[in-house]
Amino acid sequence: MPSIFLNDINVKFIVDAEMTKTIKSTVAQFLRPRKTTPRIVHALQSVSLSIRDGERVGLIGPNGAGKSTLLKVMARIYPQNGGEALIEGHVCPLFEFITGFEMEATGWDNIRTRALLLGISPKEIENKIEEIAEFTNLGEFLDMPVRCYSSGMLLRLAFATSTAVDPEILLLDEVMAAGDAAFIQQARKRMDHLMKRASIVVFATHSLNVLPSFCERTIWLDHGRVMLDGPTPEVISAYERSILIRQ
Amino acid sequence: MEQTTNRKVFEEVIQAARLWPIWLRIGLQDIRMRYRRSAVGVGWIFINLAIMIIAVGIVYGNLLGQELKEFLPFLTIGLISWGYITSSIVEGGNAFVISEGYIKQIGLPIYIYIFRFLVSITITMLISLPAYLVIAFIYSVQFGLGTLWALLGFVLLSIVSFLMIAIFSHLNARFRDASHIASVCLQVMFFITPIIWPPEVLRKRGIDWIIDFNPFYHLLEIVRRPLTMSEPATFINYIAVAIFIILLSMIAWMFTKRLSQRIAFLL
Repeated sequence: MPSIFLNDINVKFIVDAEMTKTIKSTVAQFLRPRKTTPRIVHALQSVSLSIRDGERVGLIGPNGAGKSTLLKVMARIYPQNGGEALIEGHVCPLFEFITGFEMEATGWDNIRTRALLLGISPKEIENKIEEIAEFTNLGEFLDMPVRCYSSGMLLRLAFATSTAVDPEILLLDEVMAAGDAAFIQQARKRMDHLMKRASIVVFATHSLNVLPSFCERTIWLDHGRVMLDGPTPEVISAYERSILIRQ
Repeated sequence: MEQTTNRKVFEEVIQAARLWPIWLRIGLQDIRMRYRRSAVGVGWIFINLAIMIIAVGIVYGNLLGQELKEFLPFLTIGLISWGYITSSIVEGGNAFVISEGYIKQIGLPIYIYIFRFLVSITITMLISLPAYLVIAFIYSVQFGLGTLWALLGFVLLSIVSFLMIAIFSHLNARFRDASHIASVCLQVMFFITPIIWPPEVLRKRGIDWIIDFNPFYHLLEIVRRPLTMSEPATFINYIAVAIFIILLSMIAWMFTKRLSQRIAFLL
């Protein structure tokens, strides 16, 4: 059963790492120490939460609240400093669509590479590739290197491929669809399907109005801390009140 | 930040190895991309090598009074093997830096990027290997059963390549100038390792230690001797390479343990 269990997770970034970024500067620092206390950003501070199979969870909060960092801990990209993170199930992080794209390679090649990276098996890819190609609506452009594509075409290709996965745990970070109006319609539908297929969805967003239709539960983060974790309407209204008060 | 356990290091490498369809594909793609938009394509590898062989062959062959018949095959395979080692350190050192996008966006075990570079660097070396066959054919080098020892040589050489990539990719993520400094050191090594001059030249002068304490000499010998003389390298050569591999493994293990969890932060 896919599940996410985080207990007392802390993530710190050291901001002034430049002093020892190279061997040269490290030796210089050693020979003639310059007193600096490195600034540390606590991106997450003792975050504890658990997400069970079947849950759809929204993540909200201002910029720099730690939403992306939290997703990256769940995706096992960032290690935590202390605390424990137990993540069961195949995680599919969709933070952006374009990683793994090679401009010189053809559309077909890029579909295969990107799909492999997202954890689709080579056999499954062959089953799905027709459907992906059809959704991109790119026709014979798929035989050309993607450097010839317009940014809209590239987005179609990347989006179609990325949303072909069957993830157990789906992590989304402010996914916005660009492209022409017809594509946005199609894209939204496809995204809905994808979110329904996944056992667990965690979804970081700023668009509070779409959240209630996707997620029954929402977590509000601020300065790396969980401010509130509960049913979406409650959390959203609390969050909106806090914004009003600040203004 | 805490270190990982030995067990986790091991699991990480195994997990990454299992994802071979991914790293094989990206590795092969890297090679295709590098040569796709040039007219001669993979031919660049040969042109590079040919220029080097002709230039060094003529100058050093005459300088050291070598028979071209023996010197050119020796030189060619030496340059190919040396190129393999240096690109493992210099190009392989960038494995994580170049894979930054992947590492920060897709949470796959980071060793797959080490395998990715192992694939592209090894295949580039294999592509240049026919150059040796051409030279060997021109100077009618004898091949025999003993030549098969070269296979063992290449296996050991690729293990060294893997470990070098592992070490320098971690080191380079931490200190960006690591492979730059290493490449300066490699330039020095290129001249003090018997690549463009045969070991006998120094042995005759009684300064054997310069050669014998150089792990790269032994590493070259295990490939070069079977291919040029159709016989295994010396026992000492194999022992030296084994010790070198153990040492490199320990260093690679240490770096992985200390750094691999933090790579996403360091990039």
